Amino acid sequence: MAGGQIDIETIKAMLGLCDEDLVKPLPIPTKWSKPFWDAALQHKLVLKKCKSCGNIDHPPYLYCTECMGDEHEWVEASGKGTLAAYAINIFGVPFPFWADLPYVVALIDLPEGPRMISNIVECDHEKLENGMELEVVFDDVTDEVTLPKWRPVDETKRG
Amino acid sequence: MGAADFAIIGTGEVPCGNYPERSEFEIAYEVARMAIRDSGLDKNDVGAVLCAQHIMSNPDNDYNTEMVFGRLPEAIGAKGCKVTCMTSSGGASSYSIRKTAEGILESGETDTVLVVHAQRFSQFTPNEQAKYFSIAGSDVEWEVPFGMTYNSLAAMITQGYMNATGTTIEQVAAVCVACRRWAMLQPNAMFNKKEITIDKVVNARMVSYPLTTLMCNVLGDGGSAFIMTTAEKARKVCDSPVYFLGEGSDYSHRTITRGRVRELDQLTEFIAPIAKEAYERSGLGPDDMDIYEIYGSYPVINLMVMDSLGFVEPGKSGALVEAGETSPGGKYPCSTNGEAMSFGHSGTGCGFATLVESVRQLQGKAGAAQVEGAKFLVENCGGGAFMDCHFTVMGNQVPG
Repeated sequence: MAGGQIDIETIKAMLGLCDEDLVKPLPIPTKWSKPFWDAALQHKLVLKKCKSCGNIDHPPYLYCTECMGDEHEWVEASGKGTLAAYAINIFGVPFPFWADLPYVVALIDLPEGPRMISNIVECDHEKLENGMELEVVFDDVTDEVTLPKWRPVDETKRG
Repeated sequence: MGAADFAIIGTGEVPCGNYPERSEFEIAYEVARMAIRDSGLDKNDVGAVLCAQHIMSNPDNDYNTEMVFGRLPEAIGAKGCKVTCMTSSGGASSYSIRKTAEGILESGETDTVLVVHAQRFSQFTPNEQAKYFSIAGSDVEWEVPFGMTYNSLAAMITQGYMNATGTTIEQVAAVCVACRRWAMLQPNAMFNKKEITIDKVVNARMVSYPLTTLMCNVLGDGGSAFIMTTAEKARKVCDSPVYFLGEGSDYSHRTITRGRVRELDQLTEFIAPIAKEAYERSGLGPDDMDIYEIYGSYPVINLMVMDSLGFVEPGKSGALVEAGETSPGGKYPCSTNGEAMSFGHSGTGCGFATLVESVRQLQGKAGAAQVEGAKFLVENCGGGAFMDCHFTVMGNQVPG
């Protein structure tokens, strides 16, 4: 894959960007999603499960999107997943991500039912394949925020 | 509502592109006048003025606030205006605003509605635009922190569709080539000067594998307007009214992880039933269509919409496009204004451009891009991150 490496300082000068423009956006939890991010900080992947009907909502919402019930519990996910689809970003991403290029964004299927958008890390881009088995890894991006990301289970596909 | 109760009798449009000196207010006022003059009505006949949302706002002189607070009827001297409002559903605004217009017409308060769109992206810095579109195209909590973009989502869908159908990247690129050929015939298109080839599209700079820059739409300033009325009045005041004959709509999701159809390569399962409904409600079928006015915004979506429209075997539209059948002179003219990729993407206006072009084609006013003798066509739009889909069968006559 042709790399899109671009000198970030050149871009900053060209577009008149300040350091603040290069700060990565972080999730701002809502009242109903905070337990997810609190758990991620503890390196746990959790999902919101309705106690009335058993539906798992991800992303979670204020109340169950099946039965509108309030009662719920946060269940720990297996941490396994499969790659449903992916894209390799080479160019033209928001400025804070330019330094990471090229990077993989993917749609991940969880055996518990939900799907997530995240990054595939520690992977050989040439060996990505839809359906491949993944496992969650936790990226402590700040002291307050941890992002769940995914890597191939098969070590020969890691990069 | 039965079919063919409402019609468009006039349109106006300014060129799409980079025009920083042309304010969004100027665009709105100009396209409003063009549409009123084109309809043959007096400006004081206009009883309702509806505006689409301007993407992003200028805190010093916010178009959206001005339009919501009634600037447009005053500025264009619509002295008979009784109702004004803004309706938006992103790229599907051309559809939802038409539904608003139909409600007003149905109420009997007025029989003439002016609908206006205007957009000036060029007043914002590249960084402001990048920030806005990263949030608009992806979920701010669950996707944006991972560097997800509109282009990445389209890339995922493209990759999945190619795997599932055997469509080649050259065939995906052929959609862009066909759009460019149409745009070359359009005075208002952003890219109407230079032809492109499949080779050039495939070998352009890679953006999000497997999409290159020439497979991604480009934002441009622009605007358009139309006059909508009841079919009854349209027949009295206009020689060439364009009727809405049948429609179909559905909503899927905000975030792609919650899409009604789970697999990205199977999105045709979401799209095809909507098209079928529109055909059925119009009493017409794919073979009756002279044009397919598709607004997919990325080549893979155009292919999926073609697959859903009944004129090609699902999964085979890429080969049809590559053979030139959707280009000018082809058997199945598609997206005759050049679409988001070559006409330019004017925010909520991309669907308006498709609708206005549909009307021009059916009124015989499409100039060099005119499909001779066009009587019926199917028009399409959708918004968000492929959140919804709408089809409308339109005609310059009501089938007997």
